[in-house]
Amino acid sequence: MKVGKPEKLIVNGKRLDGRAFDELRPIKIKAGVLKRADGSCYLEWGKNKIIAACYGPREVHPRHLARPDRAILRCVYKMAPFSVKERKKPGPDRRSVELSKVITEALENVVFLNLFPRSAIDVYIEVLQAEGGTRCASLTAASVALADAGVPMKDLVAACAAGKVDGEIVLDLFELEDNYGEADLPVGIVPRTGEITLLQMDGNLTREEFEKALDLAIKGALQVYELQKAALKEKYGGENGGEQ
Amino acid sequence: MQRKVVVPGELVAKGKYRLGEGVYRVGDEIYASVLGLLDIKGSYVKVIPLAGRYIPKAGDYVIGIVKDIQPAFWILDINSPYDGILNVNEFIREVDPSTEDLYKLLPVGSVVHALVKEVNRAKKVLLTLKDKKARILRKGRLIEIEPTRVPRVIGRRSSMISMIKKETKSSIIVAQNGRIWIKTDVDMTKFIEKIIRIIEKEAHTSGLTDRIKGIITSKLKSAEKGEGNEGGEA
Repeated sequence: MKVGKPEKLIVNGKRLDGRAFDELRPIKIKAGVLKRADGSCYLEWGKNKIIAACYGPREVHPRHLARPDRAILRCVYKMAPFSVKERKKPGPDRRSVELSKVITEALENVVFLNLFPRSAIDVYIEVLQAEGGTRCASLTAASVALADAGVPMKDLVAACAAGKVDGEIVLDLFELEDNYGEADLPVGIVPRTGEITLLQMDGNLTREEFEKALDLAIKGALQVYELQKAALKEKYGGENGGEQ
Repeated sequence: MQRKVVVPGELVAKGKYRLGEGVYRVGDEIYASVLGLLDIKGSYVKVIPLAGRYIPKAGDYVIGIVKDIQPAFWILDINSPYDGILNVNEFIREVDPSTEDLYKLLPVGSVVHALVKEVNRAKKVLLTLKDKKARILRKGRLIEIEPTRVPRVIGRRSSMISMIKKETKSSIIVAQNGRIWIKTDVDMTKFIEKIIRIIEKEAHTSGLTDRIKGIITSKLKSAEKGEGNEGGEA
């Protein structure tokens, strides 16, 4: 059951959860939470709770998918049945296949796949609790899990969404704004080069609005990037790791 | 020595450097490609990885487990995305595969300490037993650690491992692929495994060799006392 449509999504210049237009939800990232995976990440983004696990490089099964000159990257996005208000029927559906595909493609270009011919790198993303914006949150968690597994990458991928709610361009939509807002624009970037590896749009924006939203989303993603780096360094005792 | 932890995409150096593992160059700038510890020595820059699978390279010693046998070679699991191939003519002695049974020489499940002879571009890994250090490991205990922790277990100029071997009077083989073979009595094997787990966990801390030596000395002392007590009671 969906929560009924609120009359207004913006009240007295504040959003329904009390945030300013350019404010992110609180984000918590922890790297290396799973013992049996090669790399992992637990991420809380507002009320979103996501766990990502990375395995590999490892042998490819089924065999025919292997490429002789490079590794293949496979990301699988999955929502737990209890992650949303109305029980989600388990199993792959149109939405999760789409998300798996766009997340895989967003990460493919930053991983040095040519170093591991004939192998596979798998990332499994489990959404334990969803509150809108799981696409960006999953991509963020997946890239931390990859780095935690020691997979060589050009850079981490950071993601954040922006959108239009009650005529205003706002950062990081949550569930109600996502459902009843006018537009949603998730963006994934490679912060070092500024390249965009994920860009989708749900709803309509004018050219000016689009540019404003894109800038805002990139600014949000850069904040997320700092949290990703801090989480990875945290695992090894902060900035100065020690001797070896 | 304190080393900085770097993440993929972090700028580590600018200018003329020779590149080691874990770094890549864009124009004049050098970036880290893996999560690890930054290591700059003179004009040489690399990142020592803190995680990751073992990727075989020629000249490494690995401990492999036979997982399949073909008419003229063994296929070994070497704790890596790629299998190791041990050809019959790389066996310890001359073997004629048409008359001798490969299953009898090295049955499935056998453990060998082998040298990586060659890794080609398609990552086909050729192993050999025709080497002084290579051998078949028959008795003992095999444990696995994170391959990235192997340099720490060995220590600088093998300081750590030779200290452990000397203090515990055991034979230990540490292979590059993260497998460690220990041969000694049961109690000592358990103790050595415990020590290695400590090293694995605290690999990035300093003063580890001395701390480990302390643990071993106190254990040996209490073991002596323990034996004395038991003798007294009996």
